[in-house]
Amino acid sequence: MIIPIRCFSCGKVIADLYEQYVELISTPQNAAGEPMSDGQAMDTLGLNRYCCRRMVLTHVDLIEKLLRYNPAERDIIKLNNQR
Amino acid sequence: MPSWAPLSKEELAKARAPLSEEQLQQRRMVRINAETVTDTSATDIPGHWGPGQDDSWNLERFRKSLQITFHQNKPLDATFSLIGVDASIANAFRRILIAEVPTLSIEEVFMLDNTSIIQDEVLAHRMGLIPLIGGHEGLRWLRRFEKAPPKDDFAAQAKYDPDDVEDNAKTPNDHNTIVLELDVTCRWANEKEDGRDGRKLAKEGSTDPTEKYINSNVYAKQLVFKPQGEQVSMFAGENAIRTANPDILIAKLRPGQRIKLSCHCIKGIGADHAKFSPVATASYRLLPHIDITQPILGADAKKFAKCFPKGVIGLEHDAESGQEKAVVIDPMKDTVSRECLRHDEFKDKVKLGRIRDHFIFSVESTGQFNSDELFLDSIRLLKAKAEKFKRHLTELEEGR
Ligand SMILES: [Zn+2]
Repeated sequence: MIIPIRCFSCGKVIADLYEQYVELISTPQNAAGEPMSDGQAMDTLGLNRYCCRRMVLTHVDLIEKLLRYNPAERDIIKLNNQR
Repeated sequence: MPSWAPLSKEELAKARAPLSEEQLQQRRMVRINAETVTDTSATDIPGHWGPGQDDSWNLERFRKSLQITFHQNKPLDATFSLIGVDASIANAFRRILIAEVPTLSIEEVFMLDNTSIIQDEVLAHRMGLIPLIGGHEGLRWLRRFEKAPPKDDFAAQAKYDPDDVEDNAKTPNDHNTIVLELDVTCRWANEKEDGRDGRKLAKEGSTDPTEKYINSNVYAKQLVFKPQGEQVSMFAGENAIRTANPDILIAKLRPGQRIKLSCHCIKGIGADHAKFSPVATASYRLLPHIDITQPILGADAKKFAKCFPKGVIGLEHDAESGQEKAVVIDPMKDTVSRECLRHDEFKDKVKLGRIRDHFIFSVESTGQFNSDELFLDSIRLLKAKAEKFKRHLTELEEGR
């Protein structure tokens, strides 16, 4: 759901690298305005072992979808409408 | 003549003759063949090489042959060669590094409010895995907190003796528990406090949560250290307990959601839980050895170099044949893929192996201690264990 704190196999901390990884592969990184390739991005972040690489490479950030269902936000909207 | 027949004078003299450097080198080799690996077990057991030879363990000889050289020594990543010890010793160091060097970690999480979409137990687990750092002196000063095992864990109950535990270690106090707190509430960004109106941005079609909301991402750096009692002086200033990686994403929030919790951190060992392990990885491999027995020349040399990773085999001008000759430059880079043994032209010209007592260690600390320091800790712990074992043996001998 959300990026795990550590690599399952070796225990390297990866939760602080995921946002950087997404940044590297989705925004222009060179003069031609191209983003980095997955492999290159993982190399720059120091993810050398294949266990750590699969953690970021295959992660599906489902929390972004679940965050859209926010009961607290619904309450806020209700409160605002009453006012 | 049967193998058990007594040796003749000449044979005995031959067996007692000191070994040449080359012979000694041969004894350190693990042979790697196309399909098999041979000579894997250690041979430095007294009597292994037959009668007449003095191969008993000798402190002076051990001292001379023991070598430790660092290839890279960064706080979070150290690589070094440990030469001249048995595999059992090297492996003991590795296992102690992973499972027995005590470190500080979050153990207990008290949820005061959690309206985020990460469940309490998942959030608590995530908190536990965050590596903590702080002043080394303070961390070494910190005592262990000995928790009584749960009532239904009969195996642990049987081993647990409350009389063995110091009174001071039975209850959480400033000598054994660190308190961290986290209090984050997510809200819409507003003009007054943040200089931008999140709701307006949302209406205009903004999709960036960090723009629309405040505290939409909860990071490990938002954990606040609450020093208790003597900890105020032990963890003052830059020695404060904090996270090793401040940008760890703990949770994501949306407006109206709040996480408020308090954590108790205690010292523990990796054998209890992997979060206490001071290293991400601690591993070793044996140094590869490539022995070119007959010269490999010309086009063959180029092909030979391609069988190995870059930098292992180099080409040198050979004066005798006037061609390029393959030479070994850096066997440490080799992965021992045995690719060269698959080609018939190299089959009889090369011998692969590994050095049995040359361990290339790689220690990757999670941040609490430096990697080289951790290795010294592992040596200290093994020494303490050996001393404890010795004490038990004397007690046994004396019949106590
Ligand atoms: Zn890993």
